[in-house]
Amino acid sequence: MTKEEIIRRTNEVFAKDFEIAADRLKPEAQIFNDLGLDSLDIVDLVVALQKQFSVTIRDDERVRNIRTLGDVYDFIYLLGQEKTL
Amino acid sequence: MPLKRAVITGIGAVSPLGSDVGEMLSGLEAQHSAVRFMEGWDAYKGLRSLVAAPAMPKDGQSIPRQSRRSMGPMSIYAVGAAEEAIKDGDLPADILKTGRVGCIIGSTMGGANSLNDVYESMSIHKDLSQLTSMKFFQCVSHTAALNVSQYLGINGVVMATSAACASGLQAIGAAYDLIRLGSQDVVLCGGAEELFPTVTASFDILFATSTKYNDRPALTPRPFDADRDGLVCGEGAGILVVEEYEHAKDRGAKIYAEIIGYHTCASGLHVSQSSKDALAASMRGALFASQIDVKDVDYINAHATATLQGDKEEAEAVREIFGDKVPVSSLKGYMGHTLGASGAIELIASLCMMRSGRIYPTKNLDRVADDCQGIWHVQKMLERSINIIVKNAFALGGLNASLVLRRH
Repeated sequence: MTKEEIIRRTNEVFAKDFEIAADRLKPEAQIFNDLGLDSLDIVDLVVALQKQFSVTIRDDERVRNIRTLGDVYDFIYLLGQEKTL
Repeated sequence: MPLKRAVITGIGAVSPLGSDVGEMLSGLEAQHSAVRFMEGWDAYKGLRSLVAAPAMPKDGQSIPRQSRRSMGPMSIYAVGAAEEAIKDGDLPADILKTGRVGCIIGSTMGGANSLNDVYESMSIHKDLSQLTSMKFFQCVSHTAALNVSQYLGINGVVMATSAACASGLQAIGAAYDLIRLGSQDVVLCGGAEELFPTVTASFDILFATSTKYNDRPALTPRPFDADRDGLVCGEGAGILVVEEYEHAKDRGAKIYAEIIGYHTCASGLHVSQSSKDALAASMRGALFASQIDVKDVDYINAHATATLQGDKEEAEAVREIFGDKVPVSSLKGYMGHTLGASGAIELIASLCMMRSGRIYPTKNLDRVADDCQGIWHVQKMLERSINIIVKNAFALGGLNASLVLRRH
């Protein structure tokens, strides 16, 4: 999957599940501070990403290091590189 | 210390007839039926009743996402009804966060739609990976109470009564007790329910649903009628502001009525069969508590869901206590049986009847059944001064609740 496709499909999750306007979906946006998600939303973000990309990440420790939307893109891209996609 | 007095100062309803009390009254006035054929329900093997009365809510999108995410349909209905009741009661926003305001909202079993999602994930797919963090909050039996209280910032007593179709009336009764004891100054209370095929199925399995009118939904349910064949499920929420009398008086609140008697009791006889004696005990208990004479009652809003056995038992219980001297009607023919919400929604409609002096007839009661004779059935709009109301709600499990209200 290309990086562009990952960005498009990740943004789709944030727009649909978390009702965030497209113009706020910038790579540098902090998921908690800028996009307004809280700890419960993170549980649901993981569920939504698992569904969107057919991956299993709930127990992946690297999820804890995600801070920005760009981190999400990179993490999903990395999973693809690891051939889990 | 003498018990305090409890009055009703605000009402709100999301019902099959509309998104607020006004729309519900318009529907009742016009004798509309909200019952319709449910597309897609015929996919369920063995489900014979394919009719229901869906709610007509406003768009829930006005509730911010992080509040809305924990809400299934019934909680969204309850929030709509609660906001209307607060506005109607002119309750100041700051009072909600004083610890002196409670919230008691009952339902049959919590959010049926989300419960089904969880069943499918766990039972069919045996997979937790698609379950969101919010399913629990949407499912639980106190989902409406927790969501309304969190959304409004209420930090007093929050509870959920769970007595199937008597849940709403039990919630109001519990609020009445809290007010009388001085534990709370105000309680937002009532019931909420949401439709789902599993809800209708639970009655269908017991042969308690209407099955012969799938092609003519407006003609069912038929409370007390010779051609009744069972209940029709509905959904919605009814919320009332129950307030301590002096508190209401001090802030100049309008008062719909005073709650003067409440009783709830079980039959101790059978899990599903209604008992005339237990229904009568429920009404007698509430009348005794209210210290009024039977002849002073001006209107009885019946539970009457149009089941063969339940209507007969209720008619017999009413006949035994009131004879044919008091007008009786059921609102199930308009809105179906809104289950845990029905006691509250129908009480709100009854309060409006008290104010207008117009009693809405039992819709679809064309020919009174032989086993429901001997009471004063209201079959067309009846103009009557109403001072005292008795409201009944009866539930599977042999549970019964009755409330007596006096016009203020």
